[in-house]
Amino acid sequence: MAYSDKVLDHYNNPRNVGSLDKKDPAVGTGLVGAPECGDVMKLQIKVNPETGVIEDAKFKTFGCGSAIASSSLATEMLKGKTVEEAMAIKNTELVNELSLPPVKIHCSVLAEDAIKAAIQDYKAKAPAPAPAATA
Amino acid sequence: MSELRILGEQAPAEHPHCWRCGNGPAHEHAEPVSLFCQFCNTLQPPVADYFSFFDLPRHLSLDLAELQRKFYALSRLLHPDRYTRAAERERRYSLEATAILNDGYRVLRDPVERAEYVLREAGFDIGEQRTRDVPPELLEEVFEFNMALDELKSGDETVVPQLMESRASFVSLLAEIDRELDAHFAEHDGAAGREARRAVLERIRKILNRRRYIRNLVAEVDRQLTAQGA
Repeated sequence: MAYSDKVLDHYNNPRNVGSLDKKDPAVGTGLVGAPECGDVMKLQIKVNPETGVIEDAKFKTFGCGSAIASSSLATEMLKGKTVEEAMAIKNTELVNELSLPPVKIHCSVLAEDAIKAAIQDYKAKAPAPAPAATA
Repeated sequence: MSELRILGEQAPAEHPHCWRCGNGPAHEHAEPVSLFCQFCNTLQPPVADYFSFFDLPRHLSLDLAELQRKFYALSRLLHPDRYTRAAERERRYSLEATAILNDGYRVLRDPVERAEYVLREAGFDIGEQRTRDVPPELLEEVFEFNMALDELKSGDETVVPQLMESRASFVSLLAEIDRELDAHFAEHDGAAGREARRAVLERIRKILNRRRYIRNLVAEVDRQLTAQGA
């Protein structure tokens, strides 16, 4: 199957590959997988606790070109957005941007799931403003 | 959806009258085969449903010895060589029936393929799946496993013991899943009513997804270790 130029670009030069410290309370980690194709996707966000803005996003995806491109693009879209804005990102935006064919739409769904999972994880950590922890 | 369900559950009744002698219903008695007219013993258009074809109950647990016995008996009865001098129509039916026989035997004798067949015929989508089918605790392991695989691919053989360990844990997980499947098969076969069976099938579908996922992982590590000559 022919990949679109945008998919190839993200596949060959993936943005924001790597990982953030998942123990950091400002970091939300989303780990999702698609049984059928064996794709696994880890997506992390680092949120500024004061502004609620996503300052950094990293991913690591094991899967096909479309899955890698979807998560790569997702991290780009996440940066600079607030958590609430990020929550509203839809897989269809990834589909349109990457011109994904119908058989690869599940890759974008996986990326959307990863975003939601990362946000949930961040929220579950209850980002209470760090209290004065001086002993 | 409901039509599919009904198709999957009903006995075949598409050809109640024999195409040759006109008597009907052509299939009424069971053994040895309802494939033949009960009046003139002419081969009838074969039914496509594997369970009906083999005249077996629509069960997920099958007696494999019985299945094999039926397969051999039907193979003899349906073999195209027996129909070389038969009417063109009967010759065609023997070819069609032989194809269904072979496909059906291959599917029914394998528990996983059999279950997938029953699921498909009952209208379940067993293709593309969503994330919730994989338990999160397994995802973590799968991710680490993939990281190690990546390192192996880039030539780092120190990860081999870690990979073998993961492989072993996946294999024992598969054995556990197969036991779980067996229990569900028995529950399905004993369930009273279509809705109850459907509920069990829904659970079986999820178990099968997990199983396929884990099998893919084992196959992947085997492929990589072979490629590395490790």
